[in-house]
Amino acid sequence: MARQGRAFVRVAGLVKRYGEHPAVDGVSLTVEEGHTLALLGPSGCGKTTILRCLAGLETPEEGQIEIGGRVVFDRAAGVNLMPEQRELGIVFQSYAVWPHMTVAENVGFPLRVRRVPRPEQRDRVRRILDVVGLAAWHDRPATNLSGGQQQRVALARALVHEPRLVLFDEALSNLDAQLREQMRMELKVLQGRLGFTAIYVTHDQAEAFGLAEHVVVMSRGRVETQGAPREVFHRPDTPFVARFLGLNLLQGRVLRSRSADDGTYAEIALRDGISLWGRVVGPQDLAAGAPALACVRKEHVRLAPCGASQDGVLSGEVRASSFLGLTEEYVLDLGGLELRAVQPFMGTAPGQRVAVSIQPEECIVLPAERAEAPQ
Amino acid sequence: MHDAGLPGRRRGPGLQRVLPILGVLTGVLLVAGPLAAMLARSLLLWEGEEPRLSLHNFIDLLSDPRFHEAVGNTLLCGIGTTIASCVLGLSLAWVVARTDMPGRRWFEIANLIPFFLSPYVGAISWIYLAAPNSGIIQQFMRVQFGLSLEFLNIYSLGGVIWVLTLFYTPYVYLFVIAPLRQMDAALEDAARVHGASFWLTLRLVTVPLLMPALLSGALVVFVTSAGLFDVPLALASPSGIRTMPTEIYAAVQYPSDFGRAAAFGVLVLTVTVLLTLLQRRYLSRRRYETVTGKGYRPRLIRLSLPGRIAALSLEVIYIGAGVVLPTLALVMVSLSRLWTGRFNPDRASLANFEYVLFNYQLTQQAITNSLILAVTGATIGVALSLLQAYYLNRGHPKRRPFVDALLSLPLGIPGIILGLGFLILAIRTPLYSTLAIVLIAYVARFFPFATRTVSAMFQAINPELEQSARASGASWGQTMRLVLLPLLRPALIAAWIMLFVIFIRELGATILLYAQGTETISVALVILSDRSFGYAAALAVIQLLLLLVAFVLFRASKASIVQS
Repeated sequence: MARQGRAFVRVAGLVKRYGEHPAVDGVSLTVEEGHTLALLGPSGCGKTTILRCLAGLETPEEGQIEIGGRVVFDRAAGVNLMPEQRELGIVFQSYAVWPHMTVAENVGFPLRVRRVPRPEQRDRVRRILDVVGLAAWHDRPATNLSGGQQQRVALARALVHEPRLVLFDEALSNLDAQLREQMRMELKVLQGRLGFTAIYVTHDQAEAFGLAEHVVVMSRGRVETQGAPREVFHRPDTPFVARFLGLNLLQGRVLRSRSADDGTYAEIALRDGISLWGRVVGPQDLAAGAPALACVRKEHVRLAPCGASQDGVLSGEVRASSFLGLTEEYVLDLGGLELRAVQPFMGTAPGQRVAVSIQPEECIVLPAERAEAPQ
Repeated sequence: MHDAGLPGRRRGPGLQRVLPILGVLTGVLLVAGPLAAMLARSLLLWEGEEPRLSLHNFIDLLSDPRFHEAVGNTLLCGIGTTIASCVLGLSLAWVVARTDMPGRRWFEIANLIPFFLSPYVGAISWIYLAAPNSGIIQQFMRVQFGLSLEFLNIYSLGGVIWVLTLFYTPYVYLFVIAPLRQMDAALEDAARVHGASFWLTLRLVTVPLLMPALLSGALVVFVTSAGLFDVPLALASPSGIRTMPTEIYAAVQYPSDFGRAAAFGVLVLTVTVLLTLLQRRYLSRRRYETVTGKGYRPRLIRLSLPGRIAALSLEVIYIGAGVVLPTLALVMVSLSRLWTGRFNPDRASLANFEYVLFNYQLTQQAITNSLILAVTGATIGVALSLLQAYYLNRGHPKRRPFVDALLSLPLGIPGIILGLGFLILAIRTPLYSTLAIVLIAYVARFFPFATRTVSAMFQAINPELEQSARASGASWGQTMRLVLLPLLRPALIAAWIMLFVIFIRELGATILLYAQGTETISVALVILSDRSFGYAAALAVIQLLLLLVAFVLFRASKASIVQS
């Protein structure tokens, strides 16, 4: 998106507790105007709570929230605007389409409560229903619609009063895969056309990466990592993110490291005699002997029929495989370590040995997690 | 399950087909019989020896100004009670389900207590509390604060509406609290975020979504409160205010005019059935799916200090007026040898209780009769409801909705009208003036309550549970005994206790059917209320204790009251 620089939404030091349990534990983030931010994480990580705090549906214990240059919440200053004063749009996972109203009444609601003159209400509702492709459904009771159509009603309702910030709470996860794909594209087109800023909560990484300019990965109420989708995707910088994105995590110790043009590489000893090279991510250098994790995307584990003995090639045994369509997922036993690989079908049966190779550029080395409970 | 039978050996319809149908037929006959008798009687006119068909009874009635007065007053009571109970029931449910009012868990249960109490006893207690000049409240205010509350007169339509409201509020409360609690919070949150204030959201989203439940509750309250005999008998009759149930009662008293009573009954019945059908039509067009299962439960609203005080006051007033004050008044009167409108603790004695329990034949007989009726009636009613619930859930799929509508018909029929039907039916038979006819009338009027409770639980039982029992080799009887009955147990217990409570306090049907020796507690209360405040209060306390024990058992059984 063209407009750069100005933070439209600013969240600082947000804390929200439920009893003793902090659901959001000191989160700060910003969203630029016209951009989409995705809050990504497993359920219970606090992403929805942040969204609800932004909407004014929950009152945080600490922190500050600014939307479009207006402070809507500030604990210290005692500011806490009601939800209806924050001028937002929201789309819920359950759609929250009111069953006692028609499609037009649902969509026109934000205009009605703002006392927009009736003829103007009608025009604007028609226009937005055209945009979401529901013009023909205008007078139908909202409950007669399919899930995808209800989703569009919810979307039209969130956009009709032209809010500058629209919140999406797992908005597409109730739809089936095909419809989800289609809605994702439509949302992108719509946003380009209407130019609103969006915050998008999801547990689905494909959705987050596909929709957002900026992705925030959350875990246990904290920001785990954030950045552009490609950055987060290609360089997971914590074990949590790596695991959440579905990478293989192999535990070991640093043997040695060397510097190259594109960063530091380290050799990690995994099990007796098995080691591999990977690129060190993150600021800290890893001293020899330090515990470390080698993280490899399944698609980057290359398999070959056994025999070709080369440098950097390991030997593993196929335990199981499952058909994924164009590719096949293999579960490999690498001297006692489990490794998953996704490869085009190569005709190996469980029990057979294969050569496993991992390119150092495609293997990420992270310092081993501190006292963190296994997920 | 449709059993095709084994090839070469045709099996006749088994118990599994016959028994449920028998249960349904019994239910239909129990209601249709007395109503048909009433309809027939309303069309007959005796001139000399031979009766002849005539609309005379109806013409007579419709041209009688007393009829118009009674109908007008009953409509006023019904509408007043309905509006007041809806406002109160909805407010109480909202406060309990949606706010952080202190003690709301306790109030959640307390709000249901009036549901278990006897409206007739409630009316008597309110006479003690607010009879003109002599009422406890008036005396207390005069003595303590020098305030004159002369305008307070419980013997008025206002008094009837007040006491009816106290007893019918839990009906509305029960109807709306579940949808209030389970509504997807996003429905309201979406309204707030899109610009509606708290009050606007309440008006445009919350209340409209509750409308089907609220209207169902309102209709039940209107029909049942307007048809209730107990409260007008206690509060309207003494000052000569005519109402529909008391007029029917009067028509049956000497010199009796059964034709008039029957015509009255038929007219009331027609209105009741029409209203029930209207409600069914309305509800079938709008069944809101407000529970998505994927959304959040509504958040509790944090009350400000004034809000907290207002909510608590509402609860205190309701529980105070519906439970605490009436009970206190009853206890005080029952402990006084001679009630003068003021309680003197130094002179308190248990003499009234002693007399009522050990020395007075009427009350002893009444307590025994009530217990016999309640225990056998509840048992028969639950057995019947089990068979009917089986049919409603496993019977012929196309006939179920019709059977369901038919079986829920008695829900709206006033007890006094069904009692009248049974009276007309039994008057020339040996059943007349026996306990048995009272028992039959009880079961006929109230089995649908049990059927609804059991059927609602039945719905949650997957037929595959029984099918796997059958596939494992169990007979239908064994399947019932080993699978279905244990699963239905909570509902059966709840239904039994509910019927027990209803039968212990029933008055409308009994008042027309009792004879010397078959008085019940409620009938004895009516008889005693003219003779002795003290004995009546002592007997009322005993009835109250029975009802409270049932309430405690009900809570302990963890069963729930099922509505709609």
